[in-house]
Amino acid sequence: MFLIIFTAFLYGCATVVSKMVNYRATQELGTWNGSLANYVVASILALILLLLSPYLQTDLHACTQVPVHLYAGGTFGVIAFVLSIVTLRRMKVFQSTILLLTGQLLAGILFDIIIFREFTWIRFAGVLLVALGIFWDKKITAA
Amino acid sequence: MYSLLVLLAGILQSAMMSFNGLLAESVSLWGVSLVVHASGGILLVLYILLVVREKITFRGMPWYLYSAGFFGVLLVSVSSWCVGILGAAVTTCLSVAGQLCMSAVIDHYGLFHVPRIPFSPRRIPCFLMILAGIILLNLS
Repeated sequence: MFLIIFTAFLYGCATVVSKMVNYRATQELGTWNGSLANYVVASILALILLLLSPYLQTDLHACTQVPVHLYAGGTFGVIAFVLSIVTLRRMKVFQSTILLLTGQLLAGILFDIIIFREFTWIRFAGVLLVALGIFWDKKITAA
Repeated sequence: MYSLLVLLAGILQSAMMSFNGLLAESVSLWGVSLVVHASGGILLVLYILLVVREKITFRGMPWYLYSAGFFGVLLVSVSSWCVGILGAAVTTCLSVAGQLCMSAVIDHYGLFHVPRIPFSPRRIPCFLMILAGIILLNLS
């Protein structure tokens, strides 16, 4: 359990480095073209990795058996990206970050209950503590 | 109105993570990354051409900035793996905690040529609260 928790934490650390590289790319090519470059390179890399992985030869059939709505992740991601960029021009970064996180956490808890059917009070208390710590820290750094 | 749109963006991000976590069981982690970036890329092309009305170009950028795509593949795959085991809420919390720590280190040492902002001791109680939350998550 510790390993996966540590991995999720490292994922957050890597996200910051990724955001910095992305931000530099958008400075060079503009917000939209810089982000699109990321999508294009990532698609090509993912395709290469998928073709090289042994998975492709064994279980391609499973891809057609998946409910279609599960493929909507990329669409949701782009809509969220466009919404956050467009609205950022109309509000403070701090306000936007807190709202984005609130939406993510509330929906995350709901999706965990609805989709993964997982809820324990200890887990809820853990999420609440981490969220409060994050909001408190954001308030201090924004001041 | 704009607040509601940002809230919706957060909900959509969470939905993406949950759906990706489920999709990974059938199409593998690299497959999820391909689906997310290819479908997202196509939609972004349409948005740029039809709404922003900007010319699409990838030229004139230092080569190492294309590594953003490498991070993109890795991050979507890792988050899908984590969500499949930990759920969306816990993964989001841990990831944001990691982002805070990494940002604090980058700011404190002025890495990646960002202006140096020394770590404020006022932030220590916040980090302790986050740590307590992570310990609780580990216990659950």
